[in-house]
Formats: sequence, C-alpha cells, structure tokens
Amino acid sequence: MLKIEFETHTLANGLQVILHTDRSSPLVAVDLWYHVGSKDESPGRTGFAHLFEHLMFMGSRHAPYPAFDAIMESWGGHNNGTTSNDRTNYYEIGPRNLLETFLWLEADRLATLSDVITKEELEKQLKVVQNERRQSYENRPYGRAELAIPEAMYPPDHPYHWPTIGSHEDLEAATVDDVRAFFDRFYRPSNATLVVAGDLDPAQAKALVDRYFGWQPKREPPTRAPRPAEPRLAADVELTMTDRVQLPRLRLGWHTPALFAPGDADLDLAAHVLGGGKSSRLYRALVFERRIAQDVFAYQGSQMLASVFHVGATAKPGHDLDEIGAAVDAELARLASEGPTEAELARARNTHLADFYRSLDHLQTRADLLNHYQYLLGDPDGVGRDVARYADATRASVRDAFARALSAKRLALRTLPEAVAS
Amino acid sequence: MSAAPKAMTAAPSVGPLPSVAPPTAERMTLSTGLEVVTVRREVAPIVSAALMIRSGAGDDPPEQSGLASLTAEMLDEGAGARDALALADELERLGADLWLGSGRDGSQLSVQAPSATFFEALAIAGDVLCRPRLTDGDWQRVLADRKTSNAQRRDQPEAVVSVVSDRLLFGAAHPYGRPVEGFAHTIENLSLDDVRAFHQAHWRPNQAFLVVAGAFDGGNLRARLEAALGDWTAAPVSQTAAPPPWPERPRLCIVDRPGAPQSIVRLVAPGTDRLSPDRPGLAMLNAILGGSFTSRLNFNLREKNGFTYGASSSFAFLRRPGSFAARAAVFAESTAPAVREMLGELAGLRERPVTAEEHAKARATLLMRVAEGLATTGGIAASFGDIGLYGLSLDEPLRFVAALERTTADDLRALAARYVDPEAASIVIVGDRASIEPPLRDLGLPPPVIYDAEGERLP
Repeated sequence: MLKIEFETHTLANGLQVILHTDRSSPLVAVDLWYHVGSKDESPGRTGFAHLFEHLMFMGSRHAPYPAFDAIMESWGGHNNGTTSNDRTNYYEIGPRNLLETFLWLEADRLATLSDVITKEELEKQLKVVQNERRQSYENRPYGRAELAIPEAMYPPDHPYHWPTIGSHEDLEAATVDDVRAFFDRFYRPSNATLVVAGDLDPAQAKALVDRYFGWQPKREPPTRAPRPAEPRLAADVELTMTDRVQLPRLRLGWHTPALFAPGDADLDLAAHVLGGGKSSRLYRALVFERRIAQDVFAYQGSQMLASVFHVGATAKPGHDLDEIGAAVDAELARLASEGPTEAELARARNTHLADFYRSLDHLQTRADLLNHYQYLLGDPDGVGRDVARYADATRASVRDAFARALSAKRLALRTLPEAVAS
Repeated sequence: MSAAPKAMTAAPSVGPLPSVAPPTAERMTLSTGLEVVTVRREVAPIVSAALMIRSGAGDDPPEQSGLASLTAEMLDEGAGARDALALADELERLGADLWLGSGRDGSQLSVQAPSATFFEALAIAGDVLCRPRLTDGDWQRVLADRKTSNAQRRDQPEAVVSVVSDRLLFGAAHPYGRPVEGFAHTIENLSLDDVRAFHQAHWRPNQAFLVVAGAFDGGNLRARLEAALGDWTAAPVSQTAAPPPWPERPRLCIVDRPGAPQSIVRLVAPGTDRLSPDRPGLAMLNAILGGSFTSRLNFNLREKNGFTYGASSSFAFLRRPGSFAARAAVFAESTAPAVREMLGELAGLRERPVTAEEHAKARATLLMRVAEGLATTGGIAASFGDIGLYGLSLDEPLRFVAALERTTADDLRALAARYVDPEAASIVIVGDRASIEPPLRDLGLPPPVIYDAEGERLP
C-alpha cells in the first residue's frame, strides 16, 4: 500500500516531469529540484549554491523583482527554496488556480535569470545571507559546532568540507560573473526534475509544463567533478571550542556509508536504538537513570557522497564531559558487540514506518519525496524500495553496520561554556 | 538560445480562487461528558488525536508558574500498569507519538499513530489521562530537567526576548506575564502534591475536548472511545480570577548580550482576545504588515535594507487580550536603523493606508491558510482542537472564511488606526548593549532600562 501514484515523462530538452494528482484539497504544489548543491562548489568559492538560491527570487526578464513573490502572494500562494550539500529545491504551494502562474514563474527564471541579474541585487542578498549565517549558526547555542564538524571530518578538498552557508570571505568575494557562470553551468533543464502535484488534471498540467518549459533549448547535463575518495580519518581527532552556553556538550562523529548504500538504513535504526526517545539506550542510561546528561541524541546524517554518524550529549550541571564520554562509549560498545534486541529493532522499525506515513500526509512533502527518489535512485517510485531497507534489517545487520562504523577513527568535539560575565 | 514564445512574455491569467470547503466534522458526547469531534481524512494511513484541556499556564498561581506544564509533562511518566520506560516502549512498538504540554490557555495531549494501532495507542492515552502514577522518583528527575532547561533559556536570545517582552507587557502579576515553563524561583516552590492537585482539579472530561482526525476505523467508534477513555470522572472546575489591567512599561529595554553578532528586536503592544470580532480583520491586517514575505516589514528590513534574514509581526489571540509583536533579528550594527524602520512601518499603516491590492492579497492569503491548515490530519486536529479550547462552534472555519470575505479595505484601515500605534509599543532588544545603546539614543529614544534574561530589572 505504500506508494505515491505518479506519471512521468521527459521533455526534449531533458527536463524530467513528474505529475502527482491529489484532489483532497484545492491546492497545488510545484517542487523543482536542481541537481546542484554546495558539493559542486570549489574551495575559496563556497556558499555559492545557497547564495544563488536567494538570487533566484530577484526577478527574471518577464517577472521583474519583486514579481515572483508579489504575484503569487496576491493569490494566497507562497514559496521557498532550500539548499543542501547535494541539491537545491524550489517549491510553490497555493490554490489550484495558480498552477499556470507557478510554472510560468519557474520557467522564466530558468530561461532568463542570468541575463537580468545585477550587482545591486547580489549585494543585497549577500547581506541577507550573512544575517542568515549569524542567525542560524553564530548567535545560536552550539551553532558554531555545526560548522566545525564537517570542516574537521572532511579533508579540505572534499566537497563536504565546507558548509552550505559558506564563509563570510567567500561570500564577499562573489561577483556577478561568478553568478552567471554558476547559473549557466548548473541551471539547465537536463539538470532538473519538476514535480507538479495536487488538485490538477494531468493532461492539462502536462500541456502547461510543455508550454512554459518545452521551448527551452536542450543543453547537456553539466560535467561533474569525479566522485571523491571515501573520506576517512587517519587518527582520532579531538577538538575543543567555546560558545555562549551554560552547559558543556560532547559531539562524536564517524564516517559512514552514503545515503542508500548498504548499511545506511541499518545505521538509521542503530541511531534510533541509541537516541530515539525516552526508551533509547543513551537516554535511559545518561538522562533517565544516572541523570548526568540534560539531553542526548544520535543520528545517521545520510548524504549522497558520504555520511556521518553523529552522537551528542549535553552534561547536566555538576557533571563533566569525561564522565559523559565514558558513559556514552560504554553504551556504544555494548550496541556494537550485542546489537539491538528483537524488541528494540521492532520499535525502531515501527517508529520509522510511522514517520514515513506522516510524511505521506502532506502534499508538498510527497512531491519532494518523488524528487528525492528520482535524484538518488533514478526513479520516482522509490518508496517501496526505501521502506524495504528498514523491513529487511536484522539484529545482525544493525550490529555489524554499527560495529563497522565504530571501528573507524572518530571526531570528538567538546563545546565548553565561555567564561564571560553576563 | 531559442526566442521565448509569446506565452512567456506576460503573466498568465489567473482564474477565481477555489472556495474553501472545510471537512465534515461529526460530534458525539461520551458517557463521561467528554465532547468528541471526528473528521475523516484518508490520504495517509495515520490518525491524529488532540485532547484539549481548557486550563493551562494562565491558570498557574503566580508563585507556582510552571505548574500546568509540569503537570502535563508528568502524566506520561508512568501510568496504569506501566512505568515511564515501559510506557515509552509500548508507544514506540505501536509507532505512536504521544505529546503532552501546556500553553497559555490550555493543556494538550496529542496522539498520532498509524491507523492499524491507533486505538491501542489511545488506550495508553486513557491510562495517562486517568491513571498517571506521579511517583516521587520521576518527579525529582523531571523537576531537575526543567530547572536545567529553564537555565538554558539564557543561551537562546529568541527565548530571552520572549520572556522579557511578556513580563514587561503583561506585568508579573498577570498569568501571561510569566513563561509557560516558569521562572527559576517559581519552579523551586513546586511539589509533587501541587501536580497531583492540578491534575485532579483541571484534567477532567467536563473541562476537555477531543478531536480525532484521519484514517481511523469508523466501526464501533463510540464503543472504542468509551473503552479507551470511559473511566474518567467529571468534577466542577473553578474559574481563575480575572487578570490585572495592562501595567505601565518602559519605552526601551535592553538585555545585554556582550559581543552578540545580531540583535534580537521585538516591538510589543497590547492586542486583543480570541473571541474578538476584530480577529479576522486583524489577521488580514497582519498579513499586510508582517505576516507574509511581501509584507511591509519584511520588504523593508530584509529586501530593501538587508538588515535581517526576516522580519515579521503577529497578534496572539488568547482567552484574555494577548499581545501584538513585530520582530526581527538584525545585524548588531544595524540595530538602530532597524528599530527606526520598524517604528516607521507601524506608523506607516496610518500614513500610507492599506491599498486595494494589499487588501486582496490579505484576503487570499488568509483564505488559503485556512485551506492549507485543513490539508493534513495534524492540521485538522489542531484547527478543531482550537475550536474546542475556545468553545467555538464547529462551523468556525466557515464563519472565519465568511468574515474574511466581508472585511473591506476600509475596515482594515480602521483597525490599523485602533490597534497599531508605534508610540504605544515597547522596544525590547537582546544584544550588545555597549555598541547599540548610543545609536539608539540618537533616534531620540529615552535611555534604556536594563533587564536580565529573566526580566528582572538591573540597576
């Protein structure tokens, strides 16, 4: 029963189109993925994919700034974009009468943005992005640790070494020519997939997509840097930083298999056994029983080229990170040697499946999943295959994947409270 | 590149907005007196239930601020035949999420579960409601966690600005003037007996309202609900005393965060209550001022000036009159100009009255927000939960839509004159005092009053 119904076709210019009908409400969602993320940047030119996402709202030839937002909001639609290491997505949600407008706006900026972008617009969005960096990382408790972890785990030439938000220096150095070159290289119909979902007639939606995107010329997909070597740490890395926080926090990280690679789903389940709620092992041991930690978490940070398995714990007042570290290590070692119990595995699986059902309830999330599977698996129909990875996991497969992960060298990052008068 | 076809050169025509058709809600009353509303949605195999209790942090005695939320949090620390961990284990086995918490006006128990296990999960919720264990060991742990998480608030400038703004606007004697999670000194006053008493007094079926939304099995629904929740007894609930009037408050307040790269700016002023007939119009007015991307505040501070990643505004419509707030996190060095522009946009609602285009946008925005809010099972549960919490009629979504349809641009101009007054707003800033204070003085603002992160005035 787990399936998202869709139909798909590819335009002559290479744009893949996926249509999904849901008439349960009078809404439509357009979800457009460009297969470019911060992994496609170069050292010294970081933050570009994300800065570019901001520029996509600065007007195109037939919809000059601020028409993109103004037109759709005048009809009750809204939109946003997100950039990750691996991809950039843009989406619009609104009443069904806006479908044609959404497609026109997306098509016009794909066709013409590079011709109309100006230095003033670039500089304005630069400031917005610099504020975003401060708000999301620099002025947020433990936020700077999030920037430090990939930097410490990946070597300088690995595309996951730098954060999606980029560095202030690189952002400052961006020019309009850089922007045009980036756009011309990656924003091509053949490097994108378009999901149109909601209260629509598929034949009509197909005709509209063709009207606005079909005329755009075919260009070959961009050439890519070769896939980098599997990252590995040559030795354990110990880092200490300070932040404006009350309590010290320990972060641990290990390199693990990429998204959808063998072991990835097992590590998702292992993370749940360790840190997924009150009955998880780390929570039970550190928060519930010994009461030495204020919070704990664990997750498999799955990405396209490589993943990191993360563990974190924040010490309660009166406890230090040596004590926390020893308690965490004991639980990790036990899971690596014994694996989960049958009941733990069942709980992790059921929770994962329930989360999946939840994501299917929301129109735009469903649209995004179709794009996700198309990008990662080359087929929008990935739900069944994805869910099967979890259903097929066994106590032994989870134990083995986790033991393998833990056998690699690791990062240990300590965030300590700044000694400031406040 | 091929020439763009004619279709590209102008915006497509847009047909009429679809009408908003809220889903059908069915009502029943269980033997305990509990009112239940059910709404079917069969897009995904999940069910969301929201049980609303019409008592929340607003009913905390002043020196026991935090009591309602700690009571909610304690209820699933073991109930019926299961201790805290066994209960969590069983919910996970069912793939169910159970969430308990309190807001200003109410407390809530929510369950979301796959259709196949929903009624088993609801039976556990019944244990939690009617048979919580409330043991001393669990209490000591939950209380210690709360003390620590409250202390961690000072790490989060957005949390600090909320605590300080509410305390200034409503006053410490008003229940909305205290954080839902309590202050350090009020948490110290609480005992497990207080939790037991709050549970006994307020968590009663006659004080509650249940929404079940999603792909639930409709067969024997009443019998299944009775089995899960039937063992619950009604009791009279006393009303909390009326709150004091709005206090005097300073114009400019700073919480010092030395070296902070951003200032968190909030302008706060009195708003109105949930049942006010002005609510639909104010929601529209807010969409124009700061409740959408193209709103005046966001357009000015983010798009025109690049001061911020985003500026917004909101009205909190509560049982008693709530707040109006405009907010932005801005470059530290842009603090004074950002405050000037925010005050200017508040004044601008009178000086540059709402246009016909803005009115049309606000209408469409709010109509589609209703439609989107009702387009997930969680959204349906939340929308109808709100109806139950405030004692509204089940056709409230349609009434709200009708009110939006009949609110004119002139109505919005009149509301702006009555509700948005830059001179009445207090400006609360969490930021680097040394660098932001002199430029703020240059705006002609009075000297700031300085507070700590809990809203205590400093010398």
